[in-house]
Amino acid sequence: MKFATTDPATNPSAVFYKQCTIDLQTGEMSFSDVPCRNLEDVLGGFGRSFQDLAQRQIDSAYCDENPLIVNTGLLTGSTAMTGMRTYFSGYSPIKGSKVGLPAAMWSTGSGKFGAKFKWTGLDELIFENRSAQPVYVVIKESAVGPQVQLKSADHLLGLSTHDKIMSLQKDYPDAHFAAIGPAGENWQNNYMGAVALSTENQLKSKEDKCRFAGRGGMGSLMGYKNILALVAQSSDKQAKPSELVKAANRNVIEGGGSARIQPISRGGGGGTWAAYDVLQEFHAVPVNNFRPQGNAIPEKLFRENVEKEYDIKSEACYRCGITCHNNVSEKNADGSKGEFLAKFDYEPLNLLGTNVGIHDAGQAARLIQLGDNYGMDAISLGVTISYALAYNERHPEKPILNGAFFGDFEKICELIVQAGKGELPEIGKGSMRLSEKLGETSYAYHVKGLEIAAYQPESNPGYAWAIAGGHMSMGTYGLLTREGKSDLDSWVQGITEDKLHIVGFDMIGLCKFFDIAKGIGTQMVVDCLKSEFDFDVSTDDLRAAVRRAFLRGLALELRQGYSKEEFRVPAEVYEDPNPNIKLPNITSPEFLEQLEKRVWGIFEPELEGLLD
Amino acid sequence: MKINVKLVGAFRVDRFREEVREYRAGTSVREVIDGLQLSEQILGFALINGIHAEFEAILQDGDSLTILPVLDGG
Repeated sequence: MKFATTDPATNPSAVFYKQCTIDLQTGEMSFSDVPCRNLEDVLGGFGRSFQDLAQRQIDSAYCDENPLIVNTGLLTGSTAMTGMRTYFSGYSPIKGSKVGLPAAMWSTGSGKFGAKFKWTGLDELIFENRSAQPVYVVIKESAVGPQVQLKSADHLLGLSTHDKIMSLQKDYPDAHFAAIGPAGENWQNNYMGAVALSTENQLKSKEDKCRFAGRGGMGSLMGYKNILALVAQSSDKQAKPSELVKAANRNVIEGGGSARIQPISRGGGGGTWAAYDVLQEFHAVPVNNFRPQGNAIPEKLFRENVEKEYDIKSEACYRCGITCHNNVSEKNADGSKGEFLAKFDYEPLNLLGTNVGIHDAGQAARLIQLGDNYGMDAISLGVTISYALAYNERHPEKPILNGAFFGDFEKICELIVQAGKGELPEIGKGSMRLSEKLGETSYAYHVKGLEIAAYQPESNPGYAWAIAGGHMSMGTYGLLTREGKSDLDSWVQGITEDKLHIVGFDMIGLCKFFDIAKGIGTQMVVDCLKSEFDFDVSTDDLRAAVRRAFLRGLALELRQGYSKEEFRVPAEVYEDPNPNIKLPNITSPEFLEQLEKRVWGIFEPELEGLLD
Repeated sequence: MKINVKLVGAFRVDRFREEVREYRAGTSVREVIDGLQLSEQILGFALINGIHAEFEAILQDGDSLTILPVLDGG
């Protein structure tokens, strides 16, 4: 990026980002230094990409006019801790309105690819049309600026996410990688393809420890465009942090929002896995397609029980001190570490474990690993499978697919493999389409076509206004459980103000664990921007930009044909309330009706003109 | 007075899961937390008899107190 101002909030056009547009059909590419339209453009990520997507009327995700936008955030590749994010944006194959129009979507992940991409000198790469042949794309730095090349990817076809990365590493030992798996390659029948991002740990250990930009099927869009992988080749350029950034980084570790997800050995809670214990206290850990039974069954996957039989190692992203990864490996007879199995985060562990009736850690790990290797979003995959299992439980005389039931490990494996190979569109196209085909939609746990995260919707009616899936684009998942808020005023305030700011991290290049509760409108971020770019930006400027970006996402949803009735949690939640969940009921039809009325009353007037 | 104290998640490490403990009348949730030397770093919230409670709340004889680490992200 180029900066000709210290005040990007009032003078954004004096900030330029380096963009490359590639026509995959012709191979033509153009580079330009694009002046920013507003602070959202300066920050980057979806704040910028959604403005570009809004300029296109797209009726189908798989059409040449739907771009795949790969970009970074302002602090990606900086000295600010967690500045590793890459963003993939486009109209989604899986998330769409009932009238059949695709929703704009972004997905993001860490790993080192984002920093390497940024260090090539490029800020954004837009793929237009589609390639006739499978290709991979090399982005590299040179004396005259970033260069981009398309190369034949025939040798990568059919390989898992990890194997693609391992294969490319042989040819580009100093690079990092973003790759799709077989699921993305089979985009016609799999709409939940993820993009795997390589990590330093993975490249050194050769173990499949990728990070994933999973949500919304951006890997399937990449597959449609016939791009199997991206290679970012640049020298490492991470400078020594300034005193200001050092203080912010220290605060992330010691005083910020991340302290609680650090390893238990450091006094933290042990990563996101710790949510199991907290939610179980309310019998709110999803079980068998989001129907907790009021018993102790989720405890089988508590860390304290898993660590008896498996080796658990706390590890971190590149130069991140948070160390939130819990990498689970087999434990050898002598107690030493055996084969690496999977990384246990709360979402994949629950949605491919307890919520599909799998309570054995080794089996859950295998399912997570399978989904990762085939390159599928663990949330959409797990929830679509749990829907199919719930259907079979209700129709034992006429089960669908392979007749799998909850807890049937072998048959669930089969479903994942078949979906990953593109042989099972019933699973691959997600729970909305499957449930509509079967005519039983009330227990399909998606909102607006995107499967929900592993927080019971009974505890989070805010799902309805999340603009890019579940909990990571609307931070209300703990408002009832953690904060004990069950009154309408608190929920209106949470959805329309406090909790939407979680999306700011998906603009600026930082992981949400930088300060998940407060968002990016903080002195820590202001200090980082001052130190890295000599920017004078206020916390109010940042909050205003995040709010505009969020509302633009909401406006885009409405433009893509969503009716207000689609902004609601799955019907089973209010039609058949689960008595086992020990929380106040905030999803009654009456509560939801009042909530919807008041939330739209605040949002709607602000949406006007946002897409002009 | 007797308080049934239940610890959740990492708070159990090197402590206990659930225990009836003796406290003087007028003890607050905060005092129980301090007495058990629970880490502020991961301190989330407390329930008294299953209901969210302030840390300053005063406990009554026979109460069940649950202390939970914070819930963050997924």
